[in-house]
Amino acid sequence: MADSIEQGIKEIIAEVAGVEVEEIKPDTNLTKDLDIDSIKAIEITVAIEKKFKVSVRDEDVPKIMTLRQAVDLVVQLLA
Amino acid sequence: MSRADANIYDAVIIGAGISGLVCGCFLAKAGMQVLIAERHSRPGGYCTSFKRKGFVFDAAAHSFGSYRDNGNFHRIIRELELEQRITINKYDPADIVITPDHTLTFWADRDKTIQEFQQVFPDEPKVREFFTFMASPRPMEIVALRHKSFQELLDQYFTNNRIKAILSYPLFGNSGLPPSSLSAFTGAKIFTEFIGDGGYYPEGGMQELPNAFAHKFQELGGVMKLSSPVVRITVKDGTVSGVVLKTGETIRSRQVISNCDSRQTFLDLLGEQSIDQRVIAKLNTMTPSLSMFIVYLGVDHTFGALPPAGSTLWYLPHYDLEKLYRSAKSSSETDLTKYLLRVAPDGKSVLAMASASFKDKHYWDDNRSNLLDLFIDNIQRTTVPDLSKHVIYKEAATPYTLYRYTGNSEGAAYGWESTQQQFMDPDFKKPSFIQGLYLTGHWTTYAQGLAGVAYLGYDLAISLIRKGKTGKI
Repeated sequence: MADSIEQGIKEIIAEVAGVEVEEIKPDTNLTKDLDIDSIKAIEITVAIEKKFKVSVRDEDVPKIMTLRQAVDLVVQLLA
Repeated sequence: MSRADANIYDAVIIGAGISGLVCGCFLAKAGMQVLIAERHSRPGGYCTSFKRKGFVFDAAAHSFGSYRDNGNFHRIIRELELEQRITINKYDPADIVITPDHTLTFWADRDKTIQEFQQVFPDEPKVREFFTFMASPRPMEIVALRHKSFQELLDQYFTNNRIKAILSYPLFGNSGLPPSSLSAFTGAKIFTEFIGDGGYYPEGGMQELPNAFAHKFQELGGVMKLSSPVVRITVKDGTVSGVVLKTGETIRSRQVISNCDSRQTFLDLLGEQSIDQRVIAKLNTMTPSLSMFIVYLGVDHTFGALPPAGSTLWYLPHYDLEKLYRSAKSSSETDLTKYLLRVAPDGKSVLAMASASFKDKHYWDDNRSNLLDLFIDNIQRTTVPDLSKHVIYKEAATPYTLYRYTGNSEGAAYGWESTQQQFMDPDFKKPSFIQGLYLTGHWTTYAQGLAGVAYLGYDLAISLIRKGKTGKI
């Protein structure tokens, strides 16, 4: 399940950041490496919430700095 | 024969609205071959002007925001080297809200605005806190807004319903929604970008903006076809292959960017056979924003009772915005008791607008001229005495007029309604079921206002250029 979640989140990040899916590695830093600003952060968060039908707690949003952290969070929310 | 002669492009943009124009400029600047096809005879979409009897009227958009030094719209103008070509002035105050009991002004000087609100509402301790938050919300605070309505945001700061209504009314006028339905994120964005940093206007009229973009686009090698409606987006094996114009001309391109109405993009241009069922279901249930009834008045020069030229005046007859919304949605009547009024910076013309539902052509054919006079009466009873004595020229545009000129569904003034449910939906920006199709502009569910759609066009161009560099398009 984690693999399909990872692929889904990668696609969301790639689309919002305007990069190719392959460029996103588990530890790619969203802010530093992909220029994700606050508007794009909300865009990614909303897209993840819609796709996986989960609700990310506001205080957890800043914890999403990398793809790996996003996947871990969604896996945890779906468990 | 060049590729353009053979009708082959790197990207085709449907619609020369501000978003399509900005996107086209940046793609062309990066060396791409780009065609923009626009149905109307001039570029701009809702951002156009027209001349009648020596008066210049802005058709719908009449000022913009986000032009402070590091504002997004300023960045776009600067990067396209347009600062020397258009003169942009800021009018202060940008907005004035008038109710039967109060007049409150949104000055460029935030402290002055805060003091005015504190004087009128001395029992509200969080006025300064609210304006400070709206001026520069921290990223985390922005993210926390995604599940809230603007009403919930206001409730965190204020108790008095009047101040809540007064602060919400310019947002109602920029989104067509009352605070209970308006997404807090969109509301905050409008507040920060248009109320906090609004009142900008290009010398010569709003048409100067799209004209400057269109000239730049052509200088950069872009091809602009005006009066050229697109009738079909062609698709081959799940990937777009180009568009067909009404003239029958076929254009080939592996990237099509739609800056037009999204129902039209999906249902008319693509056709149901090419769309995901899920999206068809959404298109049938989603709600477009309200439209407008607009009057254009040419006034004589000696008339001194007008509000300051270049400021937007918002007249609010009572404090129940839910009721205003319900009456504007009415399918049988047009409520002209609430309105926006703006004297053009040249001081010669007046624009007044009231949110209204689409209804149908017959309704507007039957009622248009009565409503025009009724609207003038309402204005002179509430804010501008003797207005009718000074009107030399009058004209009205209805929701049907807006639809006819731009193709926006139901004459919607702001694309889909910016409710929490309809907010930031990727299906309306980059549909996953078809390769090479992108949407930009106010129907994407991501943008608000002129600066918002401009930024969206810019952002899309940057993302396509990056993909082009990696050879993935």
